[in-house]
Amino acid sequence: MAVADVIRLLCTNPVYRNRVVHVEISEPEPPRFGTLAVPLDDTLESYLDQHRIRLYSHQCEAINRIRTGKNVILTTSTASGKTLAFNIPVFEKLKSDPEARALYLYPTKALSNDQLFTLVQMAQFTGISARPAIYDGDTPQSKRAAIRENSRVIISNPHELHQVLSWHAKWRPFFSNLRLIVIDEAHRYRGVFGSHIALLLRRLVRLCHFYGSSPQFILSTATLANPLEFAGKLTGQPFELVDDDGSPHGRKHFILYNPFYDGIGERSTYQETKDLLVSCVKDNLQVLCFTGSRKMAELVTLWAREDARRISARLAESISAYRAGYLPEERRLIERQLKEGTMKGVVSTNALELGIDIGSLDAVIIAGYPGTMMSTRQQAGRAGRKGGESLAILVAMANPLDQYFMNHPHHFFSCSHEHAIIDTGNPYIVSGHLLCAAAELPLHDDRDQEYFGESFYEILPELESSDLLRKTSRGWVYSGRGRAADAVRLDGIPGSTFRILCHGRLLETMDRAQAYREAHKGAIMLHQGEMYVVNEMDLETHTVRVTETDVDYYTQPLKKVDLTIIETSETRMINGVRCFFGDVEVTEQYTGYKIKRKDTIIGVELLVLPPLTFRTKAFWFIPAPDTEQRIEHLQLDLAGGLHGAEHAIIGLMPLHVMCDRWDIGGLSSPAFGENCEPMVFVYDGYEGGIGLAEKAYELLPALFSSAHELVRDCRCDEGCPSCIYSPKCGNDNQPLDKEAAVLILRDLCTFTEKSECPVLSGESGQAFL
Amino acid sequence: MSATHAPARIGALWQQRMETMREYEVVRDGNVFGSSFSNNVVFSSDYEKAHNQLDALVEKYRNVPFDTVFSGTEVFNERGVCYCLKCRQSIKIPLFDLDRFRSDIMGDLTLVHGIGPGKEAWLRAKGYRTLQDLMQHPKFRSYTHDVLTCLYDGNSAEIMNLIGCRHAKSHPYVLGTAGLHEPENYVFLDIETLGLFSRPVILFGVGMIEDGYLAVHQYLLRDIDEEQAALMATIDHMSGDRPALVTFNGKSFDLPYLSDRLAYYGMGPPTKIPHFDVLHFSRRRWKNFFPSLRLAALETEILGIHRKDDIPGQMVPEFYETYLRTENCGPLVPIIEHNKQDVVSLALLFFHLLGESYGCR
Ligand SMILES: [Zn+2]
Ligand SMILES: [Zn+2]
Repeated sequence: MAVADVIRLLCTNPVYRNRVVHVEISEPEPPRFGTLAVPLDDTLESYLDQHRIRLYSHQCEAINRIRTGKNVILTTSTASGKTLAFNIPVFEKLKSDPEARALYLYPTKALSNDQLFTLVQMAQFTGISARPAIYDGDTPQSKRAAIRENSRVIISNPHELHQVLSWHAKWRPFFSNLRLIVIDEAHRYRGVFGSHIALLLRRLVRLCHFYGSSPQFILSTATLANPLEFAGKLTGQPFELVDDDGSPHGRKHFILYNPFYDGIGERSTYQETKDLLVSCVKDNLQVLCFTGSRKMAELVTLWAREDARRISARLAESISAYRAGYLPEERRLIERQLKEGTMKGVVSTNALELGIDIGSLDAVIIAGYPGTMMSTRQQAGRAGRKGGESLAILVAMANPLDQYFMNHPHHFFSCSHEHAIIDTGNPYIVSGHLLCAAAELPLHDDRDQEYFGESFYEILPELESSDLLRKTSRGWVYSGRGRAADAVRLDGIPGSTFRILCHGRLLETMDRAQAYREAHKGAIMLHQGEMYVVNEMDLETHTVRVTETDVDYYTQPLKKVDLTIIETSETRMINGVRCFFGDVEVTEQYTGYKIKRKDTIIGVELLVLPPLTFRTKAFWFIPAPDTEQRIEHLQLDLAGGLHGAEHAIIGLMPLHVMCDRWDIGGLSSPAFGENCEPMVFVYDGYEGGIGLAEKAYELLPALFSSAHELVRDCRCDEGCPSCIYSPKCGNDNQPLDKEAAVLILRDLCTFTEKSECPVLSGESGQAFL
Repeated sequence: MSATHAPARIGALWQQRMETMREYEVVRDGNVFGSSFSNNVVFSSDYEKAHNQLDALVEKYRNVPFDTVFSGTEVFNERGVCYCLKCRQSIKIPLFDLDRFRSDIMGDLTLVHGIGPGKEAWLRAKGYRTLQDLMQHPKFRSYTHDVLTCLYDGNSAEIMNLIGCRHAKSHPYVLGTAGLHEPENYVFLDIETLGLFSRPVILFGVGMIEDGYLAVHQYLLRDIDEEQAALMATIDHMSGDRPALVTFNGKSFDLPYLSDRLAYYGMGPPTKIPHFDVLHFSRRRWKNFFPSLRLAALETEILGIHRKDDIPGQMVPEFYETYLRTENCGPLVPIIEHNKQDVVSLALLFFHLLGESYGCR
């Protein structure tokens, strides 16, 4: 077998051998089949026969549970036949209830199209009148009415749904008979976006209740640490979990490959990726390679072709890039060549995660941890889909998270620690959806609070006093000037948005915080893999003007952070260390930016921008006096230790709570507040908070110990980008003290007798700065 | 877990956001292309003028009580109370030439399924000149029978539908079916709203013919709370004896908007009645004559009306919001005037078109 040959090469070749830090083998699993509590009717049975499908155990379990009317979430692997597991009960419902309708929500166009194709086929074969159709921004006006009236399965996306709800009167036949809502790829609805979707779904359910229906939910997601909690928060309803995967797979080899095994890393992650790619292709494996950006995909392809050309032109021809921007014909060609076997190596951005089927491959190479375990699993799942032996390789970057995995493989291969976060309590997000809801049907004090949570009664009078709502005898009526749904962006927190223009053309919009950070004057910014330089930022008109550029340097903003504790809502002791959770007010002031080439600073420029102030959620802790004394005694730097601990904790947040590094911020101080105590803060980078710090506060012991392991086990002496250096540090990574950081983190994780210290007097509900 | 207290600036934040969302565009004067391209543009001079006017009104009506400015009456119904302003003005109603309309229709063989203009010419040459003649035709007899049954026994809506299916919806024959109604049946409707969709209607203008006069009833919301009662009062006008609705662009705007607002308050849609959308007939009649076919443009070109102190319809929301926010009733004055003139011009234009097609000569 060619896979075995490549593995032997990697484990014996002197260049590769040292870099292979771990090989995980999962043994082949035969399929497990299941039985249905009640057999399928003949049409569906023969549909399965025709396609030679026998239902796996998890599919049967899902169907059985969905049939009882329960909300079900499915979390089995990518190729386990989740779609069939919910399409079958949907079609059963359509058949048994001639009025029944179903709604499918998909995050992307490509996935919607795939599902439409499947549903049309199923409807044709079974003769069940589903009349499936896509209803989205591209649906022509002339076809919309007919789809609303006649289609019993409508496929749409959250953005369209958001626009459509205020026209509910036209959707009456659909909403009043809506029995099932299928949300595929639901894990994408997390963080700020997910919190918006959760409230959007509350609005949908409220309208369904108004029209007398209460639809059942079916969710499908990738593996999460908290599927039931997630599903409950997303939809507001209780769920049952189906996660015992009955689908078969072949022998899988997963290799952790560390170019920085020696703490130096003489070749870059991408160079190493190219070498691996060429080795695989030479050994006649079909391989798919994932890179973080479009530009890197192109570069790796270029380099790999150059190498391969030394062997043969044909080999060079068999390597190609593949990305979202390609024309459909170009993509079809590559897909066809892959199926025919003439194409050997394809390099892609993560866009390929989105359902486009290119069949099964022998190997997958992932250049850099893609940010979540979930994406990693999905990408690796591209190898060996048909049950043969397969190989996946993760090539590490130098950053803390990648290096943590390289040094602690068991964490990488154990069950998921990632919690997908949804926060339906952010008043900024809730208020937007209250405006939309009030424009859909008058909001009722007694009836509607259940959909929108605790802040309902507080927010409504606020919106009234700003003339956006009026209280009437029928409830709260929307009376704002703009259309509510147009004012609410599903991916942001309200506030002023900046428009990024290139030659007068709108590239994208950013909220203020992001614009200050990434699109200040002089910044080099990336948009869809292309490089731009910011020529002008107009604070009056909220406009940023950029032009294309191609430079070999990048910019990094410098900022000052000030923080005030508004209210401490919870406290806990962890190994004798006082930890807190509560509301804080953060002021971030961007003061300048550095211009860097590789790691060398080639210039520093000043920036004059107004401070950004927002209230958010944070957790914080105060290291024990013992720790402080020991650091002093050893003549280490307390400030540098706290700062390093802060960076390490933030660096490993994504291991436990799914988020992007920009979603969280931090502050450390050796003498904070009037008691001048050493403190470390970690806060949500969004007005009102989005539940990240809140979840992390629950998981603090695990978070602390992973941060401790990260820094302790790093081979560097004084700290490096793999442990306590942060690329986003607004303080230019000053000061940092690795030894002190290890001490602080160790004391967070190990219980030692620490001298008692009194809990602060002003903690309950009172600011003490 | 713990909900953050809704900070006081949350309302202000959204308000800021809304301020930036205008549903019309201000274009420089004389940009005819811009103005004919979209309905949602305001010339910059008009925009400036309206804003000055708003300031002047707020100044002039400061502390002036509502009741001394408007002399309307309160209307009560099961949905609450609203405020109604009534006025009347003389109007010339053309005498409808029913005979001519009848003979046009009877001579229109294309009303029969399967007969197009070519076939009609061929049939005429063969001596089939009217629908009655066609009853002798072996092949078309049964279809013709259906058509004649509809013409003899059907109501105006059915006849309108029949003609509308065989001709363009803006065909003069379709307009002609209006003549099957008494002038007293017409309900002229024009609404003013807080925006393009999903926001309250703040003024409902309804015109009717009473004793040879045009009576205009305007249901005004003194507060948003009165919208339901005003909606109810308005659709009451549409449920009389054989009513026929007349609007300008009402097929795409006023009527769907009303249905939407009724649904918003959990009320059923208005009953389906014959609906004459004057915009459609105007478009057919004057498309190549005038650059703009907006009501205000046509009333100047055709009716010779020049509005004084009018505000652009798109700016009504800003004026009404000022009233809501300040409780100063000055900004309502031009809104009411604007809406009244819209109803009057609508009626005049409708009768003008009807007179052109089927007035007694
Ligand atoms: Zn290090
Ligand atoms: Zn830092």
